[in-house]
Amino acid sequence: MMFKLFKKDLILFSHDQRSVMLTFLLPVILITLFAFAYGSIGVDHGRSEPVALLVADLDHTRSSKEFIDRIDSLADIRVIVSDPNKAKDLVIKGKYACAMIIHKDFQDSLESGSATPVEVVYDRSREMEIGILQQDLIRTLLSSAGEILVKKNIEKFLQEQFPSIGKSASDAILKSAIKDGNSVPAIKWTSIVGERNDTKLGLIQSVAGTAILMLLFSVAGVGTSLLEEKENGTINRLLYSPLKGSTILYGKMLFAFFISILQLTAMFLFAWLVFHLDLSVNIPALILMIIATAFAVSGLGIFLAAIARTRQQAQNLSTIIILVMSAIGGSMIPLFIMPAILQKIALLSVNYWGIQGFYDVFWRTLPLAAILPKILILMGIGLIMTLASIQLFKKRIRKWR
Amino acid sequence: MKNVSFTIERGEIFGILGPNGAGKSTIVNIVNTLVTPDQGDVIIDGVNIKDQGDTIKSIMGVVPQEIALYDELSAYGNLMFWGGLYNIPKSELKANVARTLEIVDLANRKNDRIKTFSGGMKRRINIACSLLHNPRILVLDEPTVGVDPQNRNHIFELIERLNHDGMTIIYTTHYMEEAERFCDKIAIIDVGRIIAQGTLKELRKVSGAKDTLTIKLADVNHETITRITSENPLFRFDGISNTLKVECGNIGHDISLIIGRIQNSGGVIERIFTQGTNLESIYLKLTGKELRD
Repeated sequence: MMFKLFKKDLILFSHDQRSVMLTFLLPVILITLFAFAYGSIGVDHGRSEPVALLVADLDHTRSSKEFIDRIDSLADIRVIVSDPNKAKDLVIKGKYACAMIIHKDFQDSLESGSATPVEVVYDRSREMEIGILQQDLIRTLLSSAGEILVKKNIEKFLQEQFPSIGKSASDAILKSAIKDGNSVPAIKWTSIVGERNDTKLGLIQSVAGTAILMLLFSVAGVGTSLLEEKENGTINRLLYSPLKGSTILYGKMLFAFFISILQLTAMFLFAWLVFHLDLSVNIPALILMIIATAFAVSGLGIFLAAIARTRQQAQNLSTIIILVMSAIGGSMIPLFIMPAILQKIALLSVNYWGIQGFYDVFWRTLPLAAILPKILILMGIGLIMTLASIQLFKKRIRKWR
Repeated sequence: MKNVSFTIERGEIFGILGPNGAGKSTIVNIVNTLVTPDQGDVIIDGVNIKDQGDTIKSIMGVVPQEIALYDELSAYGNLMFWGGLYNIPKSELKANVARTLEIVDLANRKNDRIKTFSGGMKRRINIACSLLHNPRILVLDEPTVGVDPQNRNHIFELIERLNHDGMTIIYTTHYMEEAERFCDKIAIIDVGRIIAQGTLKELRKVSGAKDTLTIKLADVNHETITRITSENPLFRFDGISNTLKVECGNIGHDISLIIGRIQNSGGVIERIFTQGTNLESIYLKLTGKELRD
């Protein structure tokens, strides 16, 4: 009987073009948009476009020129030389995020070890770009300053200890001492997570985050259809037949579960076809994660319908809960840029466990045993939601009659 | 519901008549085991429905008041789905669907989606969905609400045909003429109670409702009217319609006597209208109010 109800829902779903579009096309569009927004695709090796930096050099010294060259050599920054007034004007007009002005006495300040007269004027609304620049500029400035100081100290030492040393010998020693920037204590930054092949963090975030968000909406729609059936009288007609009330609920859940699996699979296949996401990284874990996520989400969707009294109420309630849960759970904004307190609250959401599970599969490339706890938590959420829905639904049916 | 008790014989059409909210659908839901009564029993074919709900469901078809169909499915798809809930073998179900589509005269539209059907056609499919498991008892809960006269007649003919084939029918309605047309017995229900039940003849007797003769006089003057009503105290004059109204037990027997009395009192008759006892007058007599939609 349950399969007859499932088949009926499947036929109704396939006839409803709007639902099909919302289930498959909309997530695909959102995944594409988010994937581009998170900047991990469309450029070589997952690197985003360099940030443009206007530079106005008022010092015109060897040190200031070297400093600019060093910045320009960074992969994340593209230097555009300008004059101070024009640069400020371009930032105010929103053409560029910021401009760096190297004031006079830059070289002198480096040599004397006093504060460097470097000013960055910026647009506060573009803090993400500024953040990237800030890190690179400080590192480059420190490196330049350090190099000049080291050079100055070595020169002083050579003059004092070996006054008769020739200029060519002195230059050779200096060159050797500061070669390859070894003169300053530089921190070596090495990424150790997600370095495997071409895995792209932004892409995983966009696929998993968006897929779960859209999945919640699709499944809430399936749950809401239960209340729609109550309103148009088909639930009562089903109850006139030898069907049990719980069978009606199981039929809906089976359909919600199936649609969830189908939608998640379609999303990952899309990511594989269009963005070359490597699905073969851990196929058993991926399959189990899809099943567990689908079970948890379909349980939640049916639960939302079970606690609502009317279809309108279910729609409003599910919209609020899904949006809030997705926002804190990492579907809309990557979790790592959220404050610590929100990251803790995120544990309460289905989105968190789903997204983190898919991170484990694709980004951290963990073995199945390490991903299993997240899979079990998702299955647990699904089970609790299902049991609660059955109890609530039984009560509802008594009232509906 | 309180003190509701009635008996339906096999092959009867039993009407449950009452205004909206009187409790007709509640009776339907109790009979179908959907609602469990606080007290009392429903016995069908010697079986208490409390004990064997599923057996009862398999011999009973219920046509709900709403058009409970899936708009996006075809007529055939709907029938296959609803019939499929009764564990009928597929080949038998297909044959039943084909036969039922013929019965409701919609075989030529079987592949069209329900959303393209008129209200009356939907009502017919709504009934057809309840016939697929060959029920012995058919419960129709106000099946003609919002149906045009042509489709209504179609439904009436269908019900009469099913009854003729031996099906017992329980028919709830708030339309008097429907109950009068084909119900063998009628229960009049108001505010959760059955206030009278029986055949139309029995109800007429119980209610004391009589036939009414309405006489329009050619020359209406105060003197003539006073004379007629004083000589015949049972004659009432209706000043609004300027007519005389006389209640009588049997119009055929009493009409010549009444005409003679009016003429003897000097009245000149222009027209005579007769109105036999109907459910409306019975309902009015029993409840003191008119039955409206």
